[in-house]
Order: sequence, then structure tokens, then C-alpha cells
Amino acid sequence: MIKLNRDLKNYVILLSLLFFNNCNFDVQKDHPKLYVVEIKQMQFQPALLKVHAGDTIEWVNHDFVTHDVTEETNKDWSSSPLAAGTSWRMVINKNTDYYCSIHQVMKGKLVIDR
Amino acid sequence: MKAYCKLFACSVLYFVFNGTNSYAQQSSKLSDPEIASVAVTANQIDIDAAKLAKEKSKDQDIIKFAETMMNDHQAVINQAVALVKKLNVTPKDNATSQKMSADAANTKKILQSKSGKDFNKAYIDNEVAYHKAVIDAVQNVLIPQAQNAELKQLLQDIMPALKTHLEHAEMIQKIFNK
Repeated sequence: MIKLNRDLKNYVILLSLLFFNNCNFDVQKDHPKLYVVEIKQMQFQPALLKVHAGDTIEWVNHDFVTHDVTEETNKDWSSSPLAAGTSWRMVINKNTDYYCSIHQVMKGKLVIDR
Repeated sequence: MKAYCKLFACSVLYFVFNGTNSYAQQSSKLSDPEIASVAVTANQIDIDAAKLAKEKSKDQDIIKFAETMMNDHQAVINQAVALVKKLNVTPKDNATSQKMSADAANTKKILQSKSGKDFNKAYIDNEVAYHKAVIDAVQNVLIPQAQNAELKQLLQDIMPALKTHLEHAEMIQKIFNK
């Protein structure tokens, strides 16, 4: 009887571990992440970033000149001008080509990884 | 008309190249205070050209580019001024910076004589030529001759902005050449 109880207890512990392990895994998978794109040497770094829908992107301006971040195709959205040392965040839900409207040759791309 | 445009482009290139790289290479080695003066002068020349473009042009691409030149080159001047203050150095006027200023005055006269599309094209052609010349001068003359490590670093730090300006100017130039 004692052995049966011990086996049952071990079984319950094992099941609990598996359950919580799976729960943690699911939470990690679905939890939106924060990605940082550095603006330095007149480039978005990385210029191409794969993210999941709902992730947040933070652009940080390390240059000494002002930049902005603007959706390129339809100009759907734009940050305000980002002075040196400032940053701006946005949640991304679809593939996006963007650029700096102040320095129009500076371009970046966000790809939703499905 | 085409021949006149070519003559103008050649004269701009002549002024620009004589004002920066080739002249600096021919002259004796520049000291750090002289390099600081050349750097500030080169940036101020482009700010002045941008101010003229904002006054004379109605083209949105030209106006926006000119605003970017004013803001970015002023940011470079601010960095240079902060550095020379920190180093307790006074920028020293010299033959190179004087020649650059004189040549820029001539270029300004030519630009002032133009209007409309002719002005827009002349301005952006000058911006392409000027940035090419300045990149060449900074890379091959000012950076190698700078003695102070922080001054050398500042000159290296402004190179990406100069190259981006050139690419941007060339992009607008292509639109005007269509």
C-alpha cells in the first residue's frame, strides 16, 4: 500500500512537471517580444528583422543627426523626428518596408515569421 | 542651353575640387586647428547653399533635401565646436578654408542667377559634386593629417552622413535628369 502510494505520488509529480513545462513553453511562444533596431552610421541595424505579429520594435537613434521611422509603401505611419539619443516603439502586425523620410536612402524591412 | 549647363557643371566642379581636396593636397600639411577650420567652413558652405535653395526653390524634393543639409551640417558644426572647446583649440583660418569660401561665393553667384527648374538642377548637381569632393578631402586629406585622436574620430564619424547625403543627392539628380 505504501509502495502504491509512492508510485502514485511520483506519477502525479511527473504529470505536474510535464503540464507546467508545457504551460511555460506555450507562454514563451505566445508572449510578445521586444526587438531593438539601432540607428547608427546612417543605417538601420539590423536592416532586415524577422519578428512575430504583436512583437514590439524599438528604434534607438545613436547618430548625431535627427532621423525618423516611416512606413514606406503608403506612408501609413511615421514616428516623430527622433533627435540624437532618443528612441521610439511600435507594435508590428504585418510585413513592413520602412525608411527614414529625412534621409530617404536609409531603408529597413520587418518580416512577420509565421 | 545644354552647352551652358555643361559649362556650369564644369565650373562648379572646378571650384569645388580646387577648394578642397586638390588644393589641400598641394598645400603644406594642415595642423589640427586648421583642419577644424576647414571642417567648419565646409559644413557652413553647404548650409549657405541650402538656405539659398530654400529661398529660391518651390520643388518639395529640393526643399526637403535643403532642410536636411541645414540640420545635419549644423549638427556637425556643433560637434566640431564642442570638441575644439573641450580640447581648448581655436580653429585657425588658413589658405584652404579661405579658398573654399571664395570658391563658394562664386558658386553662389552662379546659383543666384538661375531660377525655376534651372536652379533646381544646378543646385542638386552642385550638391552631388560638392559632397563627392568633400568626402574625398575628408577621407584622403583631413583624416590622415589629423593628429588628435578625438578630431580624427569626429572626422571618421561624419563620413557615413556625407555618403548618405551624396546618395540622397544622386537620387534627386536622377529625377531631374529624366
